[in-house]
Amino acid sequence: MTEAPATTKQLHLATDAHVQYIQSLDTHKDELDYWLTEHLRLNGVYWGLTALHLLGHPDALPPDETLDFILSCQHESGGFGAAPGHDAHMLSTVSAVQILAMVDGFDELDRRGKGKAQVGKYIAQLQNRETGTFYGDEWGEEDTRFLYGALNALSLLGLTSLVDVERAVSYVASCANFDGGYGVRPGAESHSGQIFTCVAALAIAKRLDLVDQEKLGQWLSERQVPGGGLNGRPEKKEDVCYSWWVLSSLSIIGKIHWIDRDGLIQFILQSQDTEKGGIADRPGDMVDVWHTCFGAAGLSLLGYPSMEEVDPVYCMPKAVIKRVLG
Amino acid sequence: MTSHGHGIARATRPRTEEQRQADLDKIARYRTLEDDIRDRVSRQDYDQDTFSLTSKLLRQNPEYYTVWNIRRRCLTSGSSSKPWAMSSLSKGSSTFSATGTSHLASASSSPPSSTETPPSHNYPKTGMSGTTAETTEDRQMRDLEIIKSELVFTVPLLMEFPKCYWIWNYRLWTLGQAIVRLPTHVARKVWEEELGLVGKMLHRDRRNFHAWGYRRYVVDQLESAALAGQSMTESEFEYTTKMIRMDLSNFSAWHYRSQLIPRLLRERDADDQARQKFLDDELAFIRDGLNVGPEDQSLWFYHQFLASNIIDDACSQTIAPALSVDQRRSYIEREIDEIKDLLEDYTDVKWIYEALIQYTQSLSRLGQQAKPTELKDWLAQLKSLDPQRTGRWNDLEAQLYAA
Ligand SMILES: [Zn+2]
Repeated sequence: MTEAPATTKQLHLATDAHVQYIQSLDTHKDELDYWLTEHLRLNGVYWGLTALHLLGHPDALPPDETLDFILSCQHESGGFGAAPGHDAHMLSTVSAVQILAMVDGFDELDRRGKGKAQVGKYIAQLQNRETGTFYGDEWGEEDTRFLYGALNALSLLGLTSLVDVERAVSYVASCANFDGGYGVRPGAESHSGQIFTCVAALAIAKRLDLVDQEKLGQWLSERQVPGGGLNGRPEKKEDVCYSWWVLSSLSIIGKIHWIDRDGLIQFILQSQDTEKGGIADRPGDMVDVWHTCFGAAGLSLLGYPSMEEVDPVYCMPKAVIKRVLG
Repeated sequence: MTSHGHGIARATRPRTEEQRQADLDKIARYRTLEDDIRDRVSRQDYDQDTFSLTSKLLRQNPEYYTVWNIRRRCLTSGSSSKPWAMSSLSKGSSTFSATGTSHLASASSSPPSSTETPPSHNYPKTGMSGTTAETTEDRQMRDLEIIKSELVFTVPLLMEFPKCYWIWNYRLWTLGQAIVRLPTHVARKVWEEELGLVGKMLHRDRRNFHAWGYRRYVVDQLESAALAGQSMTESEFEYTTKMIRMDLSNFSAWHYRSQLIPRLLRERDADDQARQKFLDDELAFIRDGLNVGPEDQSLWFYHQFLASNIIDDACSQTIAPALSVDQRRSYIEREIDEIKDLLEDYTDVKWIYEALIQYTQSLSRLGQQAKPTELKDWLAQLKSLDPQRTGRWNDLEAQLYAA
């Protein structure tokens, strides 16, 4: 459990503890939650691995084992499920592609898996060709998260040509609100998570000109609460993962200086468990790998010393993005 | 399972040996159930027992999306030999989405995994192998019963896990089945009851993001031709008024209101005079709110929405497109005066200064020069009241001096 320290001056990032925490995640098989969250296992590997990369310990999870596990989640269709025996879904497929990019595993995917092309095909067939948006799976849920995920993964695979990017872009544009933000579908209320997915999708499509950057920047900067943390929408509680959704969006539109950097760093550091490792949603709560990932990503984007630089569009190490995209 | 923290497993607090043992027993029971379901799926056994097992597992873990999918396959692997399942659909009708997108019909014929082929070929087709053919009415009765019982199944889960996406998805899919399978007036009733449920959810939690989004979706469907619907803009607009009167600080309700207005005026066939009257009423409504709660972001959001309708050039989306530039100017001047009045009671609310600067800037775009001293004072107030956003105020300052 994290204690709010009396003086915040001497707070620092407990890198070693966090690395150990992430390494220990697969050893909690005597806890019910380990089994109840199997539907997030592959996503969990992405969160853990991303955090490790940003903390400067990319090999703290054995890359071979990671690769084997990822390939064991792939279906004939090319899509990935969250774990062996789980149905394929856009979200786990995107995580799989991101992980493969981090462990430099695209060649292995071609050799031992169903191949890059098949993954691209799986993602492409989930596009609604009329509206441009994407489904999560064969059952037809639509969400701008899936659209972003599709462009993210396809661009890493070099296969964006398989989908109608122009139509996807106009769908995102139709989700824009008066306040400069974006919702989950046209007309839906602005929400930091959806703003990230929409702005990052437009960044991948090189269409940031469509964003009302002034208004969006204002809305995003108002997400910072007096304690330094950021919330997801007005009058809600601050949360470390929103540090990421809000901050990365601000970064993409070049307005990261519109919030108090030091206040946010302090908030994230206060949410750490400095002894056992991991970062929680806010100070005093129990840690989890999701907030550990987005807390680390937030700190990296804020330029916290001796961390690997994070790419705000992909939420992956900049060095990996550079290697993959050239 | 922890319903907070986005459904991610959190680190646990220390347990006693006894608690650990109890957890191990729970794990063993859970995994036995899971294995049982997986075995059945690998044998393509989408029968009533498998269906019941999915109920058992989903009550414990509604985040398990694959099990929701198995449940759907159990219900739609249609056959009259399965009176507890939905009837088989005639070829060409989409079973997947309420909007009937053609893409998904094709996805169904090539499921993403070879192990997940719909098992319909394992069952005799309707009317074959000795079973009596059902009449259309029989089939629809059966489907209605199943749709209703599926909706009932998800209610307690939604109450316990209101933020779990998969429950909402499954519910929407079930409702979509009503459109595909039932006569329009029957399907419409099912959807109308759904609107009642969303109302209850929003009564319990007025800011539930999912529930507001879901409400808009349900209304869209109720208005659609597939349900022989007509516009509900007036009643939904009234609904936002009601929700706002209960709680001024409801960003979701204000947002929805702003979305409804252009349609509302169009459908009312409002002439220029009616539109101006509407604008006056809305301004009075929001001003009443600001007078009691000027620290409330939701209210300023809506005020900005109205102001941008006055400032921006005429377009089909604006409330009162026929206003002359003079009228626009005097509207904004009056708002600025009203906001200045707020300063008499509230000197330390930064939103007031922000609005004053913003609207004064707009006035100069409408041809009215601002007093530099006033702007300078307001900016100084902003900087001292809101140091967190110093970078933004510096950018604003540079912008003001450049102009
Ligand atoms: Zn969070």
